Amino acid sequence: MPIAFEKVSYTYAPGTPFAYAALKEVDLAIEMNRITAIIGPTGSGKSTLVQHLNALLLPSSGQVLVLDRIITHTDKPKQLKSLRKNVGLVFQFPEYQLFEETVLKDIMFGPLNFGVSEENARKKALETLNVVGMDANIAEKSPLDLSGGQKRRVAIAGILAIDPKVLVLDEPTAGLDPQGSKSMMQLFMQLNKKYEKTVLIVTHNMEHVLTYCDNVVVMREGKCAVHQTVKDFFNDATLLNELHITPPHVLRFKEAMKLGGMALPEGIQDIQSLAIAIASRIKHE
Amino acid sequence: MSNIALGRYIPLDSVVHKLDPRMKIMAMFLLLVAVFIPAGYYGYGVLGFFIVAVLLIAKLKLNFIFSAMKPMLFMLVFLLVINILVLRTGYVLFSIFGFTVYSDAIFQTLYITFRLALMIMITTALTATTKPLDLTLAIEDLLAPLKRFGVPAHEIAMMISIALRFIPTLIEETERIMKAQASRGVDLKEGKFKEKIMAILSLIVPLFVSSFQRAEDLADAMEARGYVPSAKRTRYKQLKRTFKDYVMIAIVLLLLVGLIVMAVYK
Repeated sequence: MPIAFEKVSYTYAPGTPFAYAALKEVDLAIEMNRITAIIGPTGSGKSTLVQHLNALLLPSSGQVLVLDRIITHTDKPKQLKSLRKNVGLVFQFPEYQLFEETVLKDIMFGPLNFGVSEENARKKALETLNVVGMDANIAEKSPLDLSGGQKRRVAIAGILAIDPKVLVLDEPTAGLDPQGSKSMMQLFMQLNKKYEKTVLIVTHNMEHVLTYCDNVVVMREGKCAVHQTVKDFFNDATLLNELHITPPHVLRFKEAMKLGGMALPEGIQDIQSLAIAIASRIKHE
Repeated sequence: MSNIALGRYIPLDSVVHKLDPRMKIMAMFLLLVAVFIPAGYYGYGVLGFFIVAVLLIAKLKLNFIFSAMKPMLFMLVFLLVINILVLRTGYVLFSIFGFTVYSDAIFQTLYITFRLALMIMITTALTATTKPLDLTLAIEDLLAPLKRFGVPAHEIAMMISIALRFIPTLIEETERIMKAQASRGVDLKEGKFKEKIMAILSLIVPLFVSSFQRAEDLADAMEARGYVPSAKRTRYKQLKRTFKDYVMIAIVLLLLVGLIVMAVYK
């Protein structure tokens, strides 16, 4: 298993009056080549968890296994650069990290830092611009002149251009309009299916979890409370209730239908099969 | 970076915390003056003892404050080198590599360092025990008499409180951007000169952009709530002087006078 947390604890500002334990002995193994959603209330340790994946934070105790590397609290920053090439982390509101004069230069910044030649970086940048669905003619514009959604895409392209094997995204759709977030999620799905990237997404949107993700990790008070497939997760109504998670519309609709006197078969999790099931019921009657 | 101790309010329950912030500011100024009175080693001993006592009464951990002074170590070394090169008085201590080290070079360095350390401890004693908001209220009150001469006391206080309010936010922002750029392979410590310049640029440009954005948002929000700087306003929190405050000022004044006497009759 190439990504695994073993008894990982992390404490912010240890030894001061502000000490705060964000992670408490987390054990977790992430499947490769899948899209894993990380959910949980604010302050449950989601962001702290993902920052361990490219060693921005080193565990206070325990160890993190990432792609045949073991990260412990004794690691030196010098040895971590090669890891950051393989694990790309996109922070919340990544548009704030844009700083170059042109969009192209900004996307090239990452690859150049990892020793890619100028020419190859340029090629890769233009290619990534296309992957994130942006027009090549904005390449020479200033990133600060773009709209919010465009900035977001350029910022994500800046990470994708590094060509990481694992892509970690911290609330990538926060603040985007519904259309924008939909195409953003579809982009991640495409990255996973077509480019075989392992994708981890921190999110609060259960619709996204249901529609786009394979596995789900629920963080709660610094611990991993649940880790299972999305299908099983949303079928377990008692668990969802216990975790105070509002199920996606499809499931809520199904539940309402059941209360209204039409029980539909278990396991339906998308609109199409729901519609077919209802239609066939009505025809029978 | 989040464990920066300098200038941070530490919420504890102590006598010092409860003193009137205006009186604390005045006491701080008196003590800072006291640092510059050349009262000799005994004088500094007394002053140092007094300040450590204040910190202990405030229930502050001393090593917390010392950790705040760690960056000073660099300055200490710098001062020492300069002093060794420049000062050629006192008796000869030893000589290395053809350089003769005089006693005054060492003493002068220690002297300056001790004074600096005292000043940091005094200001920390104020900022660690006083909420930033109380501090600005106090500054506004202390500047109020100067309004007659056209000093915009309220505006100054508002500027200070906004600046103080945004220090933690900016630190957080800086950390966030540093991490985001580290994910793109930026290494602030390693690399060639040109790479380092780029690394710093990649930090400063986003920081400026978001700061300007924040400033604009804040100005809009204040205007939306009808903020007029010159408007007469009342306060929910009223500052009150108590007997303890006068005792505190009396002790500080006594110390100051004592040090002056020591300096005169040295």
